[in-house]
Amino acid sequence: MKAYIKKIESIGHQDSFQKENCWSSLQILGADTQIIAPDFKEYIPAASLRRFSPVLRIAITAALACKNENAFDAISVGTALGCLKDTEKFLQTFIQSESDTLSPTAFIQSTHNTIAGAISMALGNHAYNMTHTQNSLSFETALIDGLMCVQEGKTNVLVGAADEAIPFLDLLKPALIQSELPLTSGATFMVLSDEKTGKGIIDCSVEFNATNTSKSIEEFLTKNGIEPTQIALTLFAGECPTTIGEKQINYEQYTGLYYSSSAFAVHLANDYNIERGTYTLIVNHQIHNKLGLTLVG
Amino acid sequence: MDIFVTGYGAISCIGLNVQEHFDSLLNEKSGIKKGLHPHSERFLVGEIPLTNQQLIDRFQLKANGSRTGLLACIAAKEAFNGQTEHPELKTGIISGTSVGGMDISEIEYRSFLKEQTHDLSKYKEHLSGNAAEEIANELGIDGFLNTISTACSSAANAIMMGARMMLQGQLDRVVVGGTDALSEFTINGFRSLMIFDENWCRPFDESRKGLNLGEGAGFIVLENSKSLAITKSTPLAKLKGWSNASDAYHQTASSPEGYGATLSITEALKVAKLNPSEIDYINAHGTATPNNDLSESQAIKKVFGDIIPAFSSTKAFTGHTLAASGGIEAVFGILAIQHGYVFANLNHRNVIEETKLMPVTKTMKVDKVRNVLSNSFGFGGNNSTIILGEV
Repeated sequence: MKAYIKKIESIGHQDSFQKENCWSSLQILGADTQIIAPDFKEYIPAASLRRFSPVLRIAITAALACKNENAFDAISVGTALGCLKDTEKFLQTFIQSESDTLSPTAFIQSTHNTIAGAISMALGNHAYNMTHTQNSLSFETALIDGLMCVQEGKTNVLVGAADEAIPFLDLLKPALIQSELPLTSGATFMVLSDEKTGKGIIDCSVEFNATNTSKSIEEFLTKNGIEPTQIALTLFAGECPTTIGEKQINYEQYTGLYYSSSAFAVHLANDYNIERGTYTLIVNHQIHNKLGLTLVG
Repeated sequence: MDIFVTGYGAISCIGLNVQEHFDSLLNEKSGIKKGLHPHSERFLVGEIPLTNQQLIDRFQLKANGSRTGLLACIAAKEAFNGQTEHPELKTGIISGTSVGGMDISEIEYRSFLKEQTHDLSKYKEHLSGNAAEEIANELGIDGFLNTISTACSSAANAIMMGARMMLQGQLDRVVVGGTDALSEFTINGFRSLMIFDENWCRPFDESRKGLNLGEGAGFIVLENSKSLAITKSTPLAKLKGWSNASDAYHQTASSPEGYGATLSITEALKVAKLNPSEIDYINAHGTATPNNDLSESQAIKKVFGDIIPAFSSTKAFTGHTLAASGGIEAVFGILAIQHGYVFANLNHRNVIEETKLMPVTKTMKVDKVRNVLSNSFGFGGNNSTIILGEV
């Protein structure tokens, strides 16, 4: 076990926020799906809330809901596309503006690390603060960093991922991906610790030139001393490259399409009822040749 | 465990390779000039005077995407210096970037807004993680890849991530650094923040008004002793310390007392097991914005007390290359150690009244540079420090 999951919270298109078990109200998403938003005001001051884009709202709220009595000693966030709404807004600002004076708000909030930075500011947290943006494996690289932090002796590590959909992405979709799934937004944050509390992350690995995915999966399990028969559930995105797992579920039918959705799969794995000695394997194969493997148990 | 630096590569407005950078630093020759493009011609910027196609041809690149990716491939290729994939070595690439492929998307998006034809497939190049993949393809590395995007501290954080992965046995050899092309997006962004100086930037000067933007990439190669035994590379320096801390003060401004910067510098010294007196040169972040230079000066004073090592900001040479700056400046740190030089803080006249810190104003040969401390501070209060030392 590399780290235990002390707490996990998600906000996205499922009714998952602050639920005992996120499977209880799980729905397959339709084309008209919307974010299920909690009352952000309980977490974010009104003045900031007005300024914050949807991805900042969901990410900061999910992160703050993970808070415990101790300060986080590291924060690691994955986001593939970052703060898209503010990025588009600032593009519009300078392309369309007639004036020489531009409002800086959208620019300030457009960088990928606005999310992790805003979390540190909301908490007054001075710890290690990192943002990983490795496309469809952004969450996995953030998780690998978080697991390293636990190995380094940190005991209260916040790891999460967030991405947002904007209407412009719908226009781009046909040129970029072939999928029937709707483009969505989502944020999942979790607290990792060495303190024994229920389930945890056994291991996480990434591969960028995965030509033999079933072999990669076998090697990943062997490395962790796990037999294929011990996998009770395989959660996958994209084409499922394995027959391993008593049950196989495509998690993207619940998350919709966003690059860092494998973070929500960790939430699903954490809340899934499995027998002692069995495990959940998450196979992020959203993009051809790119493989993220996470083992939860 | 020792972490050896065995290769370096840099491209910016003062040079297309490390040797050209060193020559410019010795000759105190800045690369900041009036911009060459419609979006930059009103400003003084550090542009590399070659088009994308000229870069591809000159450096025989396989990459053909965003300028950010091209610059990354050029510097990473120089740093990797003909090394190859090896079955016994776990090799990785960790790259920092803030704009990613924005240089392409901003052109397409303008056409979209003006209702002109635009090519939807071009937005594929926008992705932040693409440059790391392009470097892997360019160098023929099949291994761990990662991209870090923490604005102006991205490259320093990539270096730190690489070091930590080596310490945990996850990598034996890693190419780390950062890259950013100059884009209309960032020019307008810094203009909107009103921290653009219309004249040459003046780091650590009382009259400083703001920064000049630049573009470029800087990468270094880190190897452990197992890797050295196989690659037979000659170590240029050691990577001794690193740290990242959060200022938690403001999304774009630094705390006036330099709280996060102080934490970061202090922790990096602790990781390196060095006393402040063992640092012979500080390559400061020194963007020349009123806020950064004051905050950084306070942090330096807090850590180093009355005996401040030789320090300078080299931003007046290169401009602020954002996510690349920590990589390019790591290369400068290695040059300082190798050749025994401290580099000029150009355009300096008067010390900042509040702190009275006097930077090095001339590039100077010194007896010895044992250790160099290099700061990189980014938006979101992201403060990073790395320490390089002699082998």
